[in-house]
Amino acid sequence: MTGFFREVSRRVFSQELRDSNLTSRDESDQYAPQYLLTPTGAKVNRIFIVGTLIEKEDIGTDSEYWRGRVSDPTGSFLVYAGQYQPEAAQFLEECELPAFVAVVGKTSTYTTDDGNVLTSIRPESIQQVDELTRNLWVLDTAKQTLERIRAVEAQEDPNSKLAKEHYSTDTEIYREMVKKALESLKDNA
Amino acid sequence: MKQIAESIRDRFMKLGIDVPVEDVESRLDELITKFKVPSNEAQRSVTNYFLKKYSIPKNEFYVRQAEPQLTKIMDITENGQWANLKAKVIQLWENTHESISQVGLLGDETGIIKFTIWKNAELPPLEQGESYLLRSVVVGEYNERFQVQVNKNSSIEKLSEPVEVGGGDFVPSAREAELRNIVDLVGGQWATVRGKVVQLWENSHESIEQAGLIGDETGVIKFTNWASSELPDMEEGKSYMLKNVVVNEWNGKFQIQLNRSSSIETLDEDIEVGTSAFTYFGAMIDIQTGSGLIKRCPECKRALVKGACAEHGKVKGEYDLRIKAVLDSGTSTQDALINRGLTEELSGVSLDSAIAMAADALDPGVVLDKLKHELVGRYYTISGHRLDRYILVDSIIPRTFLDRELLDEVLAELEVE
Repeated sequence: MTGFFREVSRRVFSQELRDSNLTSRDESDQYAPQYLLTPTGAKVNRIFIVGTLIEKEDIGTDSEYWRGRVSDPTGSFLVYAGQYQPEAAQFLEECELPAFVAVVGKTSTYTTDDGNVLTSIRPESIQQVDELTRNLWVLDTAKQTLERIRAVEAQEDPNSKLAKEHYSTDTEIYREMVKKALESLKDNA
Repeated sequence: MKQIAESIRDRFMKLGIDVPVEDVESRLDELITKFKVPSNEAQRSVTNYFLKKYSIPKNEFYVRQAEPQLTKIMDITENGQWANLKAKVIQLWENTHESISQVGLLGDETGIIKFTIWKNAELPPLEQGESYLLRSVVVGEYNERFQVQVNKNSSIEKLSEPVEVGGGDFVPSAREAELRNIVDLVGGQWATVRGKVVQLWENSHESIEQAGLIGDETGVIKFTNWASSELPDMEEGKSYMLKNVVVNEWNGKFQIQLNRSSSIETLDEDIEVGTSAFTYFGAMIDIQTGSGLIKRCPECKRALVKGACAEHGKVKGEYDLRIKAVLDSGTSTQDALINRGLTEELSGVSLDSAIAMAADALDPGVVLDKLKHELVGRYYTISGHRLDRYILVDSIIPRTFLDRELLDEVLAELEVE
């Protein structure tokens, strides 16, 4: 069992995930996990999000391939589920919109012809949850994002240094993002 | 060379045989000078030649000439050295390998040394506390420590007069392993542990006297008391001091083993088992296979795989409900085992209704799906004892409110900075 460890599922808002484009992988090992480094220095392989499923569409040609859009207070995530994610695909097919959903999955990236990097989530699980869970997630993610912002400002660990170097992260933008997210909780209190 | 020749002649002289020293020397010369044989090899070869010539059995010759040279344990300093020892058997250890007949400690007035008697030596077993003359044993080195090995060229003779054991105050009772907290135990050490027997398991093997879980204030660990250790049985719910147990790692998990040199003392106190229990807050991000409606072996309570128990084969299983969950805080993950009672309470699915659901769908998987649907994605605080990578959950509480104070606090920090 030694050598095996489970990837922690990171908490990142959609705005920050959308800004991310730095992927890394140990090239010498084809089974090495791929990581996406975000502007605040989260090293993401697995991610946990809770938000509102607002759109879904079967974009597959031969077999079913579902795309869902999950919004959080800062934007939205794209979730793709096909034949290799049967439970998630079935969920997307059957659920009614809109719905609060909790998604656990792996991040993946796609580089377009003009060099833009698009990020999305390949779900391991999607479950319908309640509004409270969504609010708990927003607070959880805000807290963890703020901790990463501080680490970038302090330049205290390798991930935050690398993030600052690559993105020239303006932490003020992300502070604003966290604030906006938290204020949305205040409003519907 | 002349010296070697003379020493060979002298040794044969002791047996009453006069070998011509010239003959010895010319044979040595041929081997050493002409055929480049190392001198000690040449010496042996020439000696053997004369042994054969005069029909002297090799064993007799070597034993006789080795007889007077007794080595003290303190003087064992060379790997590969042969020695004769007069020593007392201080301790016999648990035999760890089928090719070994006995293993333990020998002592004389100068020190203590480990010994190993190989099975193929075909020697009668030693008794603890008795003294012996051990002839032609080999010194080996392992982990920077010397030990003696008794092989098929060795012989053992019981002595009527006991050998005094000095070498410090080394007696088994003085050699007591350090008392440790269960949470601090790591593999490959000896330890003394005090704890309460939390659980006794159905005995799965005749070589095991008892197995189960023992816990102290800091944690819970599996223990095995081997039948060969000849120790008394323990009772569930009682507290004990287990002296000189071995901690080892198996499949990435630590466990303790009681052996012949261990002892069990019953304690009057009632040890509080880790109610300093471990608490973890996070989102349940997965429920793993092996959760939901399962069947257990009626003998040993292990979960069945495809209707068979790893130990008892095909058995008529007993239904149970449990969850192997993964919680995740965003910075760490924690595996948790949730028993039937808590699973029923948490999911609102009773064992009976789970059986009915599974029968209706002809698939126990529907129970697992139902549990995932109810629980995955939500935040929980769990607490319980740690066992390996799991928490054995005593309580699991869904988070039912948003922490307004924390919200205001984080917002305030954002304003200030």
